[in-house]
Amino acid sequence: MAVKDIVSTCAYCGAGCQIKFTVDQDRNKILEAVPAPGRTNDGTLCLKGHYGWDYINDPQILTRRLKRPMIRKNGKGSPLEPVSWDEAVGYVSGRLMDIKAKWGPDSIMCTGSARGPGNEANYVMQKFARAAVGTNNVDHCARI
Amino acid sequence: MSNGVHEIEDAALLFVFGYNGADSHPIVARRIVRAKQKGATIICCDPRRIETARIADMHLQLRNGSNLALVNSLAQVIIEEGLTDDKFIEEHSSGFEEFKELVRVNYTPERVSAVTQIAPEDIRRAARLYATSGRSMILYGMGVCQFAQAVNVVKGLANLAIMTGNFGRWGVGIGPVRGQNNVQGACDMGALPNSYPGYQNVTVPEIQAKFEKAWGVKLPNKAGIALTQVPHYVLHEPEEKKIRCYYVFGEDPAQSDPDLPEVREALSKIDLVILQDIYMNKTGQYADVLLPSTGWNEHDGVFSCCDRGFQRIRKLVDPPADADVLTDWDIISRISTAMGYPMKYNNTEEIWNEVISLCPGFIGATYEKLEKYGNIQWPCRSADMSDKGTSFLHKDGKFANADGRARFSSIEWQKPTELENDEFPIILSTVREVGHYSVRTMSGNCRLLRNLEDEPGWVQMNPELCSDLGVRHGELVKVLSKRGHCIARCLPTERVKKQAVYMTYQWWIGACNELTIASLDPISNTPEYKYCACRVEKIDDQAWAEQYVLDEYVKIRESMGIDVRGNKRGEAA
Ligand code: SF4
Repeated sequence: MAVKDIVSTCAYCGAGCQIKFTVDQDRNKILEAVPAPGRTNDGTLCLKGHYGWDYINDPQILTRRLKRPMIRKNGKGSPLEPVSWDEAVGYVSGRLMDIKAKWGPDSIMCTGSARGPGNEANYVMQKFARAAVGTNNVDHCARI
Repeated sequence: MSNGVHEIEDAALLFVFGYNGADSHPIVARRIVRAKQKGATIICCDPRRIETARIADMHLQLRNGSNLALVNSLAQVIIEEGLTDDKFIEEHSSGFEEFKELVRVNYTPERVSAVTQIAPEDIRRAARLYATSGRSMILYGMGVCQFAQAVNVVKGLANLAIMTGNFGRWGVGIGPVRGQNNVQGACDMGALPNSYPGYQNVTVPEIQAKFEKAWGVKLPNKAGIALTQVPHYVLHEPEEKKIRCYYVFGEDPAQSDPDLPEVREALSKIDLVILQDIYMNKTGQYADVLLPSTGWNEHDGVFSCCDRGFQRIRKLVDPPADADVLTDWDIISRISTAMGYPMKYNNTEEIWNEVISLCPGFIGATYEKLEKYGNIQWPCRSADMSDKGTSFLHKDGKFANADGRARFSSIEWQKPTELENDEFPIILSTVREVGHYSVRTMSGNCRLLRNLEDEPGWVQMNPELCSDLGVRHGELVKVLSKRGHCIARCLPTERVKKQAVYMTYQWWIGACNELTIASLDPISNTPEYKYCACRVEKIDDQAWAEQYVLDEYVKIRESMGIDVRGNKRGEAA
């Protein structure tokens, strides 16, 4: 069994505590999370750091994991139907280009994410808004 | 934060303003406790008797919504009693004379005590302690930021630090302790309507030219709109200015934004709503497209913690075998490419190298160094391994303004937008709860954490208010404002004064944002979550109310795609 320790950063608040995860790579499972020495956490974690990784197991408590792209094929009010990535990307880009052509780039609003995705994803999103769409309408929930 | 989290324990005085560390950042709160053990004086400034208040030497239990009145008054005392650091003011600041004039008469402790409900003597004592400790640090949180007058209070706090020379050294400064884990990072990366990555302004021609060259495309030079302005742009702007597409990424405006009835109306009127997330959420119910992505622990990257520290996140596991999900940056790159602006990256390090090459303040924070040192606080201006980043800003009194000086801000206190009235006589303020996080799609889906608390959530009320209304601990009550209502459980607590009640915003049934007001700070566009007028009503038929909560909970979970009754699992719809 390939069991490995990997250090990562907690995603539950701005304190940025370092967590040492023990991962069973064969079974693709996190086994345990314990504090790792970090500049801010200094070898401690709160409850969220200790137990907050369980959401990834999709325990079906509150909401369910999104597992494939979905589109309301027949417009608003119709059911969401699973589609391939190619179809989803084609649909989104097509509609974005239509809206941009008709109403201009500033009719489109994008968000970054202050949560799990990380800095690189935020960089790519704002580059997308500015360079591909052509608007500075990009923001995130810092205000909230 | 202008200073590092690790410096907190070395301050001689901590002035903790509108920041509830114990609930928002337990590990930062520990540093406050450690500072106390090392002999620091603690002043806590909060309308509730929060944990920090218990260990504080002074608790200024100010009235909700009086922040700047108190801050300006503290400044008034410091000036009046000659406790300013004149050398620092003279060498490193501008605008002091005007500020002095502003506070001199109108902000004496006597003048503001009606507004702040704090005894003049206490304001004097706190001002003296802050000005004379030698090493005072201010920590502030959402109790400052979530008002229509917010940025100006931050400027007011900065005034205090400037006039006493508490900037640019170890263990001083002023620190916003930010809520969500990567708020700092989203700002650092330019997910802001007015700045590119690294806080480079979109309206400055040279900066625009630099990014146009790097990205090979003409860029817009007009600042964009803030997230909190979206409902307005959908509902109230003329056709040609309306928002038609909302590409929501890892957020849940239909739960976390103020005045939810208005948000829902806006979401249902936008032509195209795209939700890119790991879990179904409330916004997803309005989405025309769902794009499923990898979650924290399933991808690599960098986070920025609250004191400007870059740290790595690492992929621990693959997404579930039956999930056809992609990383966020891959999804966006594919859409961009399909729109005729090709983006192609092989991994996050490639993206990161592009980021730092465009940001002088980040350029030295390479993956190699993050690997080696664990944490790099920006600015880190050199790729040389010896540059390990910067613990505190404004060293030697140098500030980011063009003339290198800090500027005093002369601003008057302003009342909150919606005051109590006959119909809604109580203040509603939204707060956080330890154990849960924001809209709960992550923490609420963790088996051990969800057991801590469950729907419909609590409303914290002063015991006297409870007995006036005839409600007891655990009883379901109705909370109403001009905009909406919800049901929550009564939690009597001496920690809060009779004039205000407090709710957390993560609940679906006890959704306090049904009530909150979308009144925004003119600069930051942060909503006034900390102040609106409400009323609490007793519910006579408790059996009905309990059944209502159960039924609603089932309904909502079903709408999120959970198999509540043991039926076959359907797609989220
Ligand atoms: S372990 Fe707790 S204090 Fe540390 S980052 Fe996570 S949520 Fe914040």
